[in-house]
Amino acid sequence: MSVDPFTLEIIKNGLIVANEEMFQAFARTAKSPVIYEVLDFAVGMTDGQGNLIAQAPGVPAFSGVLDFAAKEVLEKWKDDLHPGDIIVSNVPYYSGTHLNDVTLALPIFFKDELIGMVLNKGHWSEVGGMAFGSWNPNATEIYQEGVMYPCVKLYKEGKPNKDVIDIILENSRLPDYTYGDMEAQAASMRVAARRVFSLIEKYGLDSVLLAMEKLLEDGEKYARLKLQELPKGEFEAEDYIDSAIAQTEEPVYVRAKIKITEDKFLVDFTGSGKQVMSPINSPFPATVSGVRETYMAVTDPHAHPNAGFFKPLEVIAPPGTVFHPVKPAPTSTDWEAIAYATDLVWKALAPYVPEKLTAGHFVSILATIVGGVDDRTGEPFAIVEPQPGGWGAGYDMDGTSGLVACGDGETYIASSEVYEKNFPIMVERYMLNTEDGVGHGKFRGGFGVIREYRILNSTALATLQVGRHDFPPWGVDGGLPGPGNKIFLHRNGKVEEIRRISAEVLKKGDLISFHSSGGGGWGDPLERDPKRVLEDFKNELITLEVAENIYGVKIDPEKMEIDWDATEKLRERLKRERK
Amino acid sequence: MAWRIGVDIGGAFTDFYAIDPDTGENIWVKGETTPKDPSRGVIETVKKSGMNLGKAEALIHGQTIVINSVVTRSGAKVGLITTYGYRDSLELQRANRRDMYNFRYRKPEPFVPRYLRLEVNERIKSDGEILRDLNPEELKKIVEKFKKEGVESICISFLNSYVNPKHEIEAGRIVRELTNNEIPVTLGHEITREWGEYERTNTAVLNAFVKPKMYRYLTVLEEEIKKMGFRGSFFAMLSNGGMAPFDFVKEYPIYSIESGPVAGVIGAIALGEIINEKNIIALDGGSTTTKASLVENLTPKIHSEYYVGRDKFNPGYPVKVPVVDIEEVGNGGTSIAWIDEVGNLRVGPKAMGADPGPACYGKGGTEPTVTDAYVVNGLINPNYLLGGEMKIYRDLAVKVIKEKIAEHYNITVEEAAEGIIKLANENAANAIRIISVQKGYDPRDFTLIAHGGSGPMFAPFIAEDLEIRKIVIPTIHPGVFSAWGMLLSDIRHDVISTNIVRLDWEDAVEKINSTYDELEKRLMEIYENEGVKSEKVIVMRYADMRYKGQEHTVKVPIPSGEIKEESIEEIKRRFHENHERAYSFKLLDSPVEMVNFHVTGIVKAKRANIKEKKSDSRSVEDAIKEERKIFLNGEFMVLPVLDRDKLPIGITMEGPMIVEDPTSTVLVLKSQKLKVDKYGNLIIVKEVGK
Repeated sequence: MSVDPFTLEIIKNGLIVANEEMFQAFARTAKSPVIYEVLDFAVGMTDGQGNLIAQAPGVPAFSGVLDFAAKEVLEKWKDDLHPGDIIVSNVPYYSGTHLNDVTLALPIFFKDELIGMVLNKGHWSEVGGMAFGSWNPNATEIYQEGVMYPCVKLYKEGKPNKDVIDIILENSRLPDYTYGDMEAQAASMRVAARRVFSLIEKYGLDSVLLAMEKLLEDGEKYARLKLQELPKGEFEAEDYIDSAIAQTEEPVYVRAKIKITEDKFLVDFTGSGKQVMSPINSPFPATVSGVRETYMAVTDPHAHPNAGFFKPLEVIAPPGTVFHPVKPAPTSTDWEAIAYATDLVWKALAPYVPEKLTAGHFVSILATIVGGVDDRTGEPFAIVEPQPGGWGAGYDMDGTSGLVACGDGETYIASSEVYEKNFPIMVERYMLNTEDGVGHGKFRGGFGVIREYRILNSTALATLQVGRHDFPPWGVDGGLPGPGNKIFLHRNGKVEEIRRISAEVLKKGDLISFHSSGGGGWGDPLERDPKRVLEDFKNELITLEVAENIYGVKIDPEKMEIDWDATEKLRERLKRERK
Repeated sequence: MAWRIGVDIGGAFTDFYAIDPDTGENIWVKGETTPKDPSRGVIETVKKSGMNLGKAEALIHGQTIVINSVVTRSGAKVGLITTYGYRDSLELQRANRRDMYNFRYRKPEPFVPRYLRLEVNERIKSDGEILRDLNPEELKKIVEKFKKEGVESICISFLNSYVNPKHEIEAGRIVRELTNNEIPVTLGHEITREWGEYERTNTAVLNAFVKPKMYRYLTVLEEEIKKMGFRGSFFAMLSNGGMAPFDFVKEYPIYSIESGPVAGVIGAIALGEIINEKNIIALDGGSTTTKASLVENLTPKIHSEYYVGRDKFNPGYPVKVPVVDIEEVGNGGTSIAWIDEVGNLRVGPKAMGADPGPACYGKGGTEPTVTDAYVVNGLINPNYLLGGEMKIYRDLAVKVIKEKIAEHYNITVEEAAEGIIKLANENAANAIRIISVQKGYDPRDFTLIAHGGSGPMFAPFIAEDLEIRKIVIPTIHPGVFSAWGMLLSDIRHDVISTNIVRLDWEDAVEKINSTYDELEKRLMEIYENEGVKSEKVIVMRYADMRYKGQEHTVKVPIPSGEIKEESIEEIKRRFHENHERAYSFKLLDSPVEMVNFHVTGIVKAKRANIKEKKSDSRSVEDAIKEERKIFLNGEFMVLPVLDRDKLPIGITMEGPMIVEDPTSTVLVLKSQKLKVDKYGNLIIVKEVGK
């Protein structure tokens, strides 16, 4: 070895820091709030063969797509890549998620040798299509969701490829934003490339290449160590996606078979339903992302997610299914099926890897758009957001309440005060959803939320989509399922339940009421420590009836005490009845 | 009777620094920190100084009690009163999952359990209009419940109180009556008038949480120090880098949550002013962490986006009070070196702290630390530290590094020690990258002022790595620099309030003027309460501004006095400029909004400036303590070791060499030059061309 192990360690850190700096640079310079507020992007770096050596995803749903993009670029352009080229691609089936997520790739050359590639995939606010913002629950084929950029050169040897850029901008409803984000994306990648060059200058090319190799080696070594800690064998789970969002007559059956051996982690979705004419389909790279989330969760959530670390993982999903749609399946609300890919692996393993996994969570993000023209100013406004919900119980802990779903990460839910000031709505309540409750158990699920928007404007348009309604968050080991997600619309003195609406006109005084689901429970509710039941009652999380009928705990509400004798008798009786 | 005293509680030591601003005469001493009862450590240290307290006019105190109470959750039982529909904002937080692959992720536990978070059916709209009145009967029931549950501190935080605090004020009055003023009350809008119900409520709750404890602590301290003959005024350091009378902090202790580390930044600014360095990176190397702060044009970066306990995987608790922007990484003199699962060497974030400390302290430490590595390679004194106060056992350091690191890699103990040093330096350099490179600044445009016990040790390596051209090791002993920095702080208050004003509105000028007038009135009320005349207060204005539609803001200085139509253009210009620096673009056609109005008041304290030292006839030879064999960059060499206090003023020397200060050690590298300036500061510069 030409370089000592500690210097090598510093070079490795330098390569990882290069990614973090690229991440910060893009977050700092992008023009669209979806980038700098929601962090809906990921950056990464590969070696010369397209192996991901380091990445920094802003949301976990992006953790598997960058290597697909790198391989796509290398396959298409292998002999025609030059220093200063930047490639653009967004076609979901080959490298992506939905069309909004656009990957740029910058090959790094050192003296004519391709030594690596820098990648940045970000959500562009506009890529054309049938609806503003490009994603829409009503799309039936991809052509309605925007323009495809099929792995073409955006820059050629450092010069902008004006023809391609013109086509992109001409097809965007927000060309300024599109151009701004594109430029920021390219600039951030150059930051990372510069850092690699300064490492080469300081430590020499061989040392840097060795560090890249070592990162992959370490990743693989670490993954194998972690695999040893997992139970070996075959595990299975199945579930259904609500027909209301899949736009099908029957719910969509999905399944996963997982096989864990000493050196493999195989996930097979064979048997899952066909792709649907609704945009919930998860492109194959996105399916891999979804699986990687759970793979990270069960191995080490803090591991460096690189190709070495992911090497033992293999994902199979037959083409033509919801987990591997082919052209022209729409994919713009792909988060629904991506989350199922994550959730199925999770569901199969939860009973066997309790120290890493919980019972099921609310999964669907209750995707929300409320917009219109503000009466007060005459200017357009738009709320675009996911809703938070309840997470499942662990074998030794209650679930966490009010968190964003698995595909979101460092995603912030807005303050009511900010919404009320900026938009013509009033957020009447934002609280734990104690009305629908949670999945009860020895440990109970976390609570979803109730969040209510009163429209104060003359009119507003609402686009909403809610999944995991008919097939609620699952429990483990006798824990009960959560209640399922619901959205209610209060108007004209009536309350109706909504599953999927697109640009529906709402009037002043109408109220949208989100009731996200609580998480699933873990273990038999009759085994729950009565003191915890009392605490939940004291905290007004459950009623006296739930304490009695589900948990078999008799509480004196005046004294705030448990009647231990009555509890024992009641639990014995309930145990017999439930057998 | 003009002396000023600074007393700073740190993790391991409580530092005392007193100075007579007129003569420059000073006394400093380091005492032990006593975490269980910090006032004892303070009193012992003051005693240890032997100073006649009767001649002092002011005592300025920096402490870590507020932050420690929050971190260890040892404070009062708080009851919270909120608006209908919002009792859970403390628990919902912002719903983000910072540890995104951890499916057993748990949020930070709220400081008030749900049964003590109670609602009243009042409602104020976002424009301040009252939709539903406050009902005193509801409050009565709540207070009864709080009394029954033994609540020790009450917090009232209503939705939209940042716009209209009427209901909070009314509820506060009623609750105080109902409790006969026996339970302290904190009102959300009193702490901050920024929007964001979770952040504002959490800030107020934490204030309520620490209030009873801090009240007792400061009261005891006042009494004890007075007993020792002190007749001056008591001031507490605030997180904004200023200070305020004890009485202010008794009411609003949360303002002093980060009062410890900021003093070093204030000291660095004061030193920069004296030696004419305007752009500074202040590096504070402690025993368990390294802190870095960027200062542009002698102005500290103040923000109110502070979080307690936030890191890569934990969101922490938001505290919306003005805080000097400081980045902290888990890397200090006692950070532990360890080998990870796949066999790579790591340093930190775990540290040994002062007890038992590094192996070489001989107090039973069994893990190799950064200090052990420095001792093994001879870069710090292998016999004693703290000017002889503390004995060092090199053989213990050798043993632990050999067994835990060197044998694993089958290398010599010196090579292993060098590996630890390299990685520790890399960690410290990262703290600087975060505050500079990642925020759009080039570290090469800044001078590094390094202090703290380990700061001067890291600095020369970091400067090499980041190509920083100039390092200053202060003439004040680096180990007590923070305590000195406190003596240079001004009486400072910040008042911040959210009010959205778009610059293209017809009534923008009127709204801006009325908002600043109101804030300045509130600012002056604070000073009046402290007995300061308004003409002594220097007022500065800022605004957090953004393009319409954005969420993030940038802080922009705003002209003082009456804002006129013409001023709007100037404000816009300043905003575009600041936005471009921070985010590298500007949108000249987009409407611009003011979001938070921020007014700062400063009453200049009497400065205890550094005096020039007389050049003397001493020679470098007099300063040489010994020649020491050290290991650096893979080879053994012999370096001169110099006594910092005996270095002649005005000399310039070529590295490499070691300089020993009673509180720290400096290594000057081969490519670097050492100068001693007329104040006694050590200036290390890189030789051009080497």
